[in-house]
Amino acid sequence: MTTLLEARGIAKDFRGIRALSEVDLTVEEGERVGLIGPNGAGKTTLFNCLSGVLQPNRGQVMFDGADIGNLAVNRRALLGIGRTFQRLELFNDSTVREHLLIAERVRLGTGSMWKDLLGLGRPTSDEIKVCDELLDLLGLGEIRDEPIEALSLGQGRLVEVGRALVTRPRLLLLDEPSSGLDREETATLARTLRDVQEQQGFAILLVEHDVELVADFTERTYVLDFGQLLASGTTDEVLADPAVRRAYLGDADLT
Amino acid sequence: MLIAANVGEDVFRAVLQGTPPGAVFALIALGFVLTYKTSGVFNLAFGAQAYVSAAMYFKAKVEWEWPTFWAFFISVILLAPAIGLLLERIIFRHLRTAPAVAKLVVAIGLTVAIPALFELLAGFEAVAGQTPQGILPDGASVFYDPFGVYPWSRNELAQLLVAVTAMLLLGAMFRYSSIGLSMRAVVESPRLAELAGVNSNRVSSLAWGISSLFAGLSGVLIAPRFNTLAAPDFFNIMVVAIAAAAIGKLVSLPWAVVGGLGLGITISLFTTFLPRWSDDLSWLRPFQENLTPSLPFVVLFGIMVLWPGIRQSIDSTDPLSGVDPPPPGLASSARSKRLTNVTRVTAILIIGICAFWVFAKADVGWMFLVTQAVIMSTIFLSITVITGFAGQISLCQASFAAMGGFAVFQLADRWDIPVLLGALIGAAIAAAVGALLALPILRLGGVWFAIATLAFAFFFDSVMIKFSWVGGGDTSLLQGTRVDRPDMFGIDFNNDKSFLLLVIVVFIIASFLVVRVREGTVGRTLQALRGSEVAAESIGISPVRVRVTAFALSAAIAGLGGSLLTIQQENVNYAGNFAPFAGLFWTVLVVTLSARTVEGAVMAGVSFGLFERAVLRNVFQLSGKWRFVLFGLAASQYARHPEGILEYGKGRSFGRLDALLDRWDPRSSRSGDESSSESEEPTVDGDSAADVDGAKTGGTR
Ligand SMILES: Nc1ncnc2c1ncn2[C@@H]1O[C@H](COP(=O)(O)OP(=O)(O)OP(=O)(O)O)[C@@H](O)[C@H]1O
Ligand SMILES: [Mg+2]
Repeated sequence: MTTLLEARGIAKDFRGIRALSEVDLTVEEGERVGLIGPNGAGKTTLFNCLSGVLQPNRGQVMFDGADIGNLAVNRRALLGIGRTFQRLELFNDSTVREHLLIAERVRLGTGSMWKDLLGLGRPTSDEIKVCDELLDLLGLGEIRDEPIEALSLGQGRLVEVGRALVTRPRLLLLDEPSSGLDREETATLARTLRDVQEQQGFAILLVEHDVELVADFTERTYVLDFGQLLASGTTDEVLADPAVRRAYLGDADLT
Repeated sequence: MLIAANVGEDVFRAVLQGTPPGAVFALIALGFVLTYKTSGVFNLAFGAQAYVSAAMYFKAKVEWEWPTFWAFFISVILLAPAIGLLLERIIFRHLRTAPAVAKLVVAIGLTVAIPALFELLAGFEAVAGQTPQGILPDGASVFYDPFGVYPWSRNELAQLLVAVTAMLLLGAMFRYSSIGLSMRAVVESPRLAELAGVNSNRVSSLAWGISSLFAGLSGVLIAPRFNTLAAPDFFNIMVVAIAAAAIGKLVSLPWAVVGGLGLGITISLFTTFLPRWSDDLSWLRPFQENLTPSLPFVVLFGIMVLWPGIRQSIDSTDPLSGVDPPPPGLASSARSKRLTNVTRVTAILIIGICAFWVFAKADVGWMFLVTQAVIMSTIFLSITVITGFAGQISLCQASFAAMGGFAVFQLADRWDIPVLLGALIGAAIAAAVGALLALPILRLGGVWFAIATLAFAFFFDSVMIKFSWVGGGDTSLLQGTRVDRPDMFGIDFNNDKSFLLLVIVVFIIASFLVVRVREGTVGRTLQALRGSEVAAESIGISPVRVRVTAFALSAAIAGLGGSLLTIQQENVNYAGNFAPFAGLFWTVLVVTLSARTVEGAVMAGVSFGLFERAVLRNVFQLSGKWRFVLFGLAASQYARHPEGILEYGKGRSFGRLDALLDRWDPRSSRSGDESSSESEEPTVDGDSAADVDGAKTGGTR
């Protein structure tokens, strides 16, 4: 396997508050990796540094062998880093399907103002087909024409996942996809993700509080605590580590 | 030696000359920072408030012949803070969590409404054309010359002393009174102060009271600088104050003072030295004549463009800002297909009847107004694009329109180019300028974008139009050279009816294209960006590129509309049509009615062209100024109904109609339409997400 993402010595301060200090992390091609840690550990901050939303104070982000530290969010997205957001970031005034359609159009890169003016800017039937297939896969087919405001939190999360998947990412960053979902929805999501991933072969970096999901879904796991890497290794090893259990799980609530 | 000594003396003189107005600028800048930090409002309306106090003072003094003290008391001590407190209490307190851009729109509305409202209520017409007096007798004619370099007039001394005293009092209040301490805490970190139990309502009332008092005080002090009392001059002062506040990155009170004084002195340095340099360097001359009045705008623009740190500094000065939930998204309205169809049919019927009436019956006056309404609708489509689609407030649409108008004139005048071709070229020029302007300022983000466009509008107003290759200088164009209408396809467009037909066709084509853009890649990309910038970027959208496109398109439409207006009036008529204040009113009008739809642009155009004559004068026998008041105040609804009152009202009144149609329509499936008829105030994602976040802070699950 080749290394897809490699972050070296990422550090991020917020006005003197250290959110991340010297974090190293790698994701291999096609791998499923977990990232866990208590609230405020810096997981979202690390995601933001990887996807370009935040500029780390120190450290290097390599993607597919190239340094992407200076690239803007959208450039990184075009290279193949997709993500979802812990606090939902949806497009107001849009329907579910519109979220995916615009992502597909951007991926194809075929839009321009001149085409719009000529009346060629509407979604093509191919685009609609691609998006509808994915929506069906995610179980959102029924509500694809609903305005986004009418959706539940869990459905919103699925829309975010769908939107990210349309971009055909090589690495998908998922920030707590199961929060707001019930047990059944979580299981469906995990199954769907695995299906799509097997088809398309992208890698996943998963931030999750639901330890069961992490144990079930990921091969390797990193543990962050107060911005520092507490442990890393195969998921089973890490979850068995007493230090991790102390810092993260409080006491044994997973046995 | 001699020269050096002279230069030193001149600098000293410029400093002495610039300090009194600088102190007044500093005073408004202080108020600006105070309200911005305590309530997040970019209060452009301070200029209007300053005008109101100045006019009130003057009226009491001249018309009522009150003694100075009582005139000052009623206009500054009573009226000024009362306006501020009222605004805070009835409008801005309820907008605390609204997005910054929405608050800005409200402030722009007030900027339009307040002067007109007071002119109507308090009858300022009587004092409008006269030269203002200061607070000291013989203020302009008695001088003191302490340093033997520059004699201060009594007015200037009054400006300096009163402003400095006011600032010292504010400083003392911050230091010694408990409410002052709380206020300082809020200015430093609103969130921390809130956690510490500071009553933010009290603090923000106080801040509005003080800053409005300062604005009123500044208005009365600065008025003698102007030849006549007119609201726009005071608005310029406001822009100076924003520039001063921007030097302190909008957050630092001391730096705002430094900025105000610095600007006052810099302006007088320029007035001192530029003429001298331009004796030797002739190319400097147009700048010398034009740059000085526009210096604040240049400074403001320069600060924003060259100092990219300014935006970050605003976003993250509060150590706790990271934990704030994001402001709730603007409420949105989903529309059902059927509702759209009902609207369309109704609209076509109404338009048909109106068209019949206009073409068959209307007299010249009505004809002119109707034509103007159609042209304005075209111009307003430009606001539909930039504000409705891109979600940005541009305050320089009037400048783009003017570019179109000037282009038609220049081309017809110099090269005999037909006016309609000139109109297209004008649109292209406006688009190019728009794209160039957009590049540096787009990264600034919502509110700063609006302010930068405002600075540009003023720059264009005070510098650009004076160049012979733009506005024709002092010669022809500004004073009304005629441009003949075209004679094409065997149709003579000097005939008002055929010209009306032409502008209707242009409007229809333009709105058709605008709708295509909305449904196309650009529109959908903008929609995504409006919904969530970071998410849009995360799927590969480049915000800058598409926004530059949108801004250029918007500028092109405005340019096209502006040139049509020029062709209609056979004259550019810059001051009447395209002054910066006009641009403010346009934005207010469109945003109030509906910025998202073509109907909104039409309604705004109709309101602009016909409301005054058809409704205000004919029905209510009211002054035309009421439209500024009505639309300006209605803009305060923007924060709650960003889709505009037109859409909102339609949604409400047709909600019932929709339900009625449901009962009759056997094919309709209830479930499909429910969301649309009941989604007047849909739940906002931000809220629910924030709840989840809040619930989770308890720890791991
Ligand atoms: N924009 C910001 N400004 C200031 N501080 C911030 C900002 N974003 C995050 N922080 C701080 O950085 C630290 C790490 O936050 P982060 O959101 O990355 O944690 P997390 O691991 O994702 O937590 P959670 O499980 O609650 O999502 C926290 O102390 C947080 O308060
Ligand atoms: Mg997080």
